[in-house]
Amino acid sequence: MSVAWQFYISTVLIYLGVDVIACWGLNLQFGVAGLVNFAYIIFQAAGAYTAAVLTLGPATRGGFQQYIGGAHLPFPVPILVAGVVGGLLAAVVGGLAIRRLRSDYEAMVMLVVSLIATSVATNQSGLVNGSNGLALVPKPLAAMVNLSPIGYQWLFVGITAVICLCVYWLVHIVTSSPLGRTLRAVRDNEQAAAALGKNVAALRMLAFVLGGVLAGISGAILVEFISAWSPGSWLYPETFVYFTAVIVGGSGNNLGVMVGALLVPVAFLEATRFVPQFGPPGLIDALQWIIVGVLALVFLWFWPRGVIPERRRRFPRPAEGEADGAPRRVPLFLRAGR
Amino acid sequence: MSAPAGPLLTVRDLHREFGGVRAVNGASFEVPGGGITGLIGPNGAGKSTVLNVIAGSIKPTSGEIAYREQDITALPPYKLARRGIIRTFQLSSEFAQLTVLENLLVAAPGQRGETLWQAALGKRYWRAQERAVVQRARELLTRFDMTAKEDEYAGNLSGGQKRLLELMRGLMAEPALLLLDEPMAGVNPSLARRIEQHLLDLCGEGLTMLMIEHELAVVERLCDPVIVMAQGRVIAQGSMADVRTDREVLDAYLIG
Amino acid sequence: MNTLLPAIGFGLVTASILAVAGVGFTLQFGVTNILNLAYGDIMTAAAFVAYLVTSAGVSVWLALVAGAAFGGVFSVVLNRALYTPFVRHGTRLFGMIIVTISVSLIVQNGLQAIFGASFFSLNMPRPAPIHVAGMVFTTVQFAIIGIAVAAMLLVHLLLRYTKLGKAMRATASDPELARNCGIATDRVIDLAWALSGTLCGLAGVILVMNVTAFTDTTGSQFLIPVVAVAVLGGIGQPYGAMLGALIIGIASEVAAAVISPDYKNVVAFVILVIVLLARPQGILSEIATRKEVAA
Repeated sequence: MSVAWQFYISTVLIYLGVDVIACWGLNLQFGVAGLVNFAYIIFQAAGAYTAAVLTLGPATRGGFQQYIGGAHLPFPVPILVAGVVGGLLAAVVGGLAIRRLRSDYEAMVMLVVSLIATSVATNQSGLVNGSNGLALVPKPLAAMVNLSPIGYQWLFVGITAVICLCVYWLVHIVTSSPLGRTLRAVRDNEQAAAALGKNVAALRMLAFVLGGVLAGISGAILVEFISAWSPGSWLYPETFVYFTAVIVGGSGNNLGVMVGALLVPVAFLEATRFVPQFGPPGLIDALQWIIVGVLALVFLWFWPRGVIPERRRRFPRPAEGEADGAPRRVPLFLRAGR
Repeated sequence: MSAPAGPLLTVRDLHREFGGVRAVNGASFEVPGGGITGLIGPNGAGKSTVLNVIAGSIKPTSGEIAYREQDITALPPYKLARRGIIRTFQLSSEFAQLTVLENLLVAAPGQRGETLWQAALGKRYWRAQERAVVQRARELLTRFDMTAKEDEYAGNLSGGQKRLLELMRGLMAEPALLLLDEPMAGVNPSLARRIEQHLLDLCGEGLTMLMIEHELAVVERLCDPVIVMAQGRVIAQGSMADVRTDREVLDAYLIG
Repeated sequence: MNTLLPAIGFGLVTASILAVAGVGFTLQFGVTNILNLAYGDIMTAAAFVAYLVTSAGVSVWLALVAGAAFGGVFSVVLNRALYTPFVRHGTRLFGMIIVTISVSLIVQNGLQAIFGASFFSLNMPRPAPIHVAGMVFTTVQFAIIGIAVAAMLLVHLLLRYTKLGKAMRATASDPELARNCGIATDRVIDLAWALSGTLCGLAGVILVMNVTAFTDTTGSQFLIPVVAVAVLGGIGQPYGAMLGALIIGIASEVAAAVISPDYKNVVAFVILVIVLLARPQGILSEIATRKEVAA
């Protein structure tokens, strides 16, 4: 394989990893817990920013970029801290929006939060270097390992894959456990879940924060890879791409969501590279977004459960013979009270 | 297990206003342990509001609710549920995209693996308990003759089957006091008779229930005592036979 | 002081635009129960209609009518052709939000594909300054305030004194009850889309009358304060939205003048956060009590 192709493929794989992690996080919020978070991209941006400044080192007075909280931390630390920051931010936003709000209110608040956050980030140059963003973020481990550029690419693919596996473990234990079942119950009927003793606010918050953590991690990987951060690349339509990916793939199903991440952000946006340029500048971009919109509509109409729908959970039955013929009267486990 | 000495639930001078409208206006009554207490009254009497206040989904304007002689006024619904006060809803409230069996599993109290940390401990930590819960859920399905629907999505059930699921889910939550909001509303007569029989059986097994019901014939067969509400107040309580002859009750039903 | 008064003047202009857009948005959502996030983009589309009309040499007043009419017709058609079928198809709240964002993306990028990604402005007479009590308005801004006041009065009369208007108000303040009483008929829904769409179109045109140049994203950017106004006033509460518009319009312009223009949108956000913490149901809403009744 030629070096150019290796570069291309490894880059696509890394983007895929980033998108898969982001989609898993959004799926925890949207697919599993039923939270509509339009600000999702902001959590990714926050994670990315955190990782960038924790890798860049302290900002120099009068330097060409201004930011706060700079430090030189060794490789996986910035990514982990990015996850923590994503989670903390989610706790703050969740504390505001998930306060017994009607879900439609909640969605509106999230939308407003995402738009405002973008405008703050773009305007407050002292905070995140304004609309210029950050650049020249050192690549992780690059100074320590002595690899050719293409070798480094593959190392990064490896790093991304390892993180993906860890994240998969996390989303799997959540969705396959009784916790996941309870979250899905909260999604389907909040009031009924509360009436069965589930602390609905805490459960929703948990899913929201976990989603925030994953968003932060995915943003961190992206920024460490592309070495730059700019507020312009975290606008709210990007959240919509992830929503489309989750819906197309199959919300509530981790594997489906992975396929969605492969189909929508990666395959779809990559495919347009091979389309010859035509029309005035911006036309292809516009058409791309129109197609994403149409794709979401088509799936919601024809396959609302996605390519790989949420799994119907069946439970193994006890072996034949164990069950005796006549139905027994079930003791009710009445409680003596607590 | 000995029956508690006093009443299981005591409601004292309960008030609830909605923007000037007094839905509940000084209701007081007791629910004794064991048996089915009926809550009846004409439309707009405030029955549902009282039930919602007891279950914690509506906060009272004033008044007090005691359960096993402990004040539980204004506790949130999930805390009440954890103390054994379980309610069903008038409109079916199934978890539509979960299977019937999963609907029941969700209701089991104190499940292992329901917090993030326990889930992180892995399947080995919660599997054994899960098996026991599944078995109990299947026994309930057998008892209510719903075994065939085990793997069906709850959203696909018929109206009557949803009522049964609602009841089963309530039982799965191990209630000490089950609040039933018109458990037979909108089901066909034969299923209504079945539900009635189930309630009688449960009563015989020692479950305490508080039930809102419109059909007086049903109340007569099932409930003792009966609490009659009109215009936000309790106007009579006692056995159905006593209540039936009460002047005020007759007026409320004829006029209200 | 000498920056404050002009800022309040600007605030009144912004509030006027916000009021028209906010009342339309809150009515639309309150009555139809569809959170139409394409609202801002329909505003932009109406602005482009007005642009085409003025470019043809027709008066800006006719362009205003054309834009408003376009908004009304487009909204009714959008609902009939897309939203209602999706709702009947069983798409629930979350799904419907995705549907409306899809429409938002399609409309916005459709405009970009047709007109190109550049700046546009309405072809209209050069405005002259007018001084009123220490505030400076242009003739256009004066007209905007007048249009907004007239529109609000019309909405008020319609909601208060016509049968359909009353039905709409009933639906907005208690959809469940209205449906049970058989009020929320297709006719009321159609009227709600027509009325809110007209206000949307009108708001789109006066929005771009007030700026030197607009693009395909002008309307969607304006959606933040519009949503803030609707939440502040309480969803489905047109009078709440008018009050909310006044508060957010003036507060954001004053903040822009006194602190920094960067804070224009931030103020809307801060107000929103305070409202959500203190009174999530909005300042003029009875949603909280209603929710409890329904529970």
